[in-house]
Amino acid sequence: MEQFLDLYGFASVILHAVELVARTVLLGSVLFWVLLAVPLGRLLPPGDAGRLHAIARRTVILGGIASLAATFLLGLLGFGALQATLDLPSGALLGADFILFTGLDLLAMLVLLALALPREAPGRDRRLALGGAALLVLLAVTFGSHAIARTEGRAMLLASTALHQAGAAFWLGGLPCLIAALRLTPPSARRVGQRYSLLAAGGVGLILLGSAGFWFGFIGSVEAVYGTAYGSMAATKTIMLVLLLALGAMNYRLLHRMAPTPGGTLRLRRFIEAEMAIGIAVLAVAASLTSVPPAADLPDDRVTWAEITERFTPAWPRLTSPDHADLAIPALQAQLDAEWQQRQAAQRPQAFTPGEGLLPPRNATDIAWSEYNHHWAGIMVLLVGFAALLDATGRVKLARHWPLVFLGLAAFLLIRSDPEAWPLGDIGLLESLRDPEVVQHKLASLLVVAFAVSEWSVRLDLLRGRVRFVFPLAMLAGGVLLLAHTHAISNIKEAQLIELSHLPLALLAVVAGCARWTELRGPPELARVGRWLWPACLIGIGLLLLIYREA
Amino acid sequence: MSQLASPAHPILLLALLLALPVCGAGPAAAHAIVVTSEPTAGATLAAAPAQVSIRFNSRLDHERSRLLLIGADNAQTALAIAAEGDPVVLAAPLPPGLAPGAWRLRWQVLAIDGHITRGDIPFTLKAP
Repeated sequence: MEQFLDLYGFASVILHAVELVARTVLLGSVLFWVLLAVPLGRLLPPGDAGRLHAIARRTVILGGIASLAATFLLGLLGFGALQATLDLPSGALLGADFILFTGLDLLAMLVLLALALPREAPGRDRRLALGGAALLVLLAVTFGSHAIARTEGRAMLLASTALHQAGAAFWLGGLPCLIAALRLTPPSARRVGQRYSLLAAGGVGLILLGSAGFWFGFIGSVEAVYGTAYGSMAATKTIMLVLLLALGAMNYRLLHRMAPTPGGTLRLRRFIEAEMAIGIAVLAVAASLTSVPPAADLPDDRVTWAEITERFTPAWPRLTSPDHADLAIPALQAQLDAEWQQRQAAQRPQAFTPGEGLLPPRNATDIAWSEYNHHWAGIMVLLVGFAALLDATGRVKLARHWPLVFLGLAAFLLIRSDPEAWPLGDIGLLESLRDPEVVQHKLASLLVVAFAVSEWSVRLDLLRGRVRFVFPLAMLAGGVLLLAHTHAISNIKEAQLIELSHLPLALLAVVAGCARWTELRGPPELARVGRWLWPACLIGIGLLLLIYREA
Repeated sequence: MSQLASPAHPILLLALLLALPVCGAGPAAAHAIVVTSEPTAGATLAAAPAQVSIRFNSRLDHERSRLLLIGADNAQTALAIAAEGDPVVLAAPLPPGLAPGAWRLRWQVLAIDGHITRGDIPFTLKAP
């Protein structure tokens, strides 16, 4: 049972992110179908009109199936967690509000799927029914959101939630349909794109309206933005939305200047792919946001601006390791002891989620050890970034072997990550593998080796085809996971300061992934930009690791 | 103690950036947190109160929440949660005749939005 509860926290965030992406695509593709494909189809050549209808219908069906599965699993997970912890019959648990709203959501999605099944283009009544079922999905989700649990400003927050989610559907949810529609004949593709930009502009407006409500209801002050996990995640989401807006603006310009030729849509496709990747990252942050208490509810123990500037003021990297058997550094240890006593004296009771676990106690040597690890990792990533920049010039042949630097990083991780275990500690390798953390670390080292070897082989032209995309996809996946990772439910300053160092790492990873993807996929004028951009992002990641501190 | 104690640790995360992630995200937190409580965490009381109450930041599903009283010997007693009343307060009468010593209120709440949260409120009863 405890193992299940340990899984609960992890699985709920991941499922929530998947559910959010699937539902946004489902609602967005319904809107695309009803508001764009059908009315515009009348103005397009019959072949293109049929293909546009098929694209929208297929995306609704796929989005519906994915959304159904994720929503069902999320509901099942919550039900299972309750069943594992309460002595109540299953019938009593089924009466919980969130189960009822999950049921309503599932029912509405089943109706949507049923309405999407007939192959012929939808008539007026079927379009109205599709819109109604989509609205029901939106309402079920809104009434199952955190807004419903608030005591103050509930109506405003419910409206904000609905507007925000509808806006995401209008803007981001239709992108899979749009990118598929760009394969229509160029004149039709341009008309679809131009019409879509109107939907997207409306979506941006709805998102901004919803965000205003969230600001007043959930955040409320600038101090809450950097002082709490909720605030800093919301700020990260805002930065990504600005990136999306920039991409959207470039799309708009392209759409209205695009030559009606196959080459004209290629640049647009790259921008839309980047929009989709950043959109997924935004939704991962949104999933994370729904799992932390709003900033307004955590008025105490926030990280102050002075603490942030103190922590992030660059200091000389720790390039010598503390001795494995070393004792704590007295001054730092005294400071940590004082902080610990202060936390113990705090009156506000702590709360946690099943499976959340507790931060392990650390001493000064642990911190010095960890900072040393980060700083050397930073140096290696910097090396990779600079080597990749040199490689981009095409003048230094040796630089194309930059993936091999990652082998050094893998070896470093393997040796240093678990000092109590083999090869540094007394615990043997096999024995240490009983600890899941150790398994994760060793596996991560092996994966870095696999990544380095595959990318190196690509650089040497030994491997071709889709293996080229391992690097950008890994960067994107890493960035998204970094955005959706653990958050402390209470204001734990140490966790928040680490969070603040993670968020820019994640942003840089997402941008680097998009840039490398674009470099690989072209067109040449965009590939040239991508070739310089992703090494610059790696250099940024390296610098952030170099200034990383834990005390 | 592992130096990469959490999946959120930057070096491991760096590895995740560079390799297909298998470790995934860390555990999630949830919404409902304690705003105030009677007794407060860490309180030392001269006598046991007639009832305990915990105020949260979210509306609760009282029927599907739980409150346990745990003694120094780890013996657990389920407290009867009052079903009616303030939607953000978990309240329950304490059994009479609690012995002096260390006690702990272990709560688990289901917020209306479906999030489950747990926590402990330790308090001490002084000997007369």
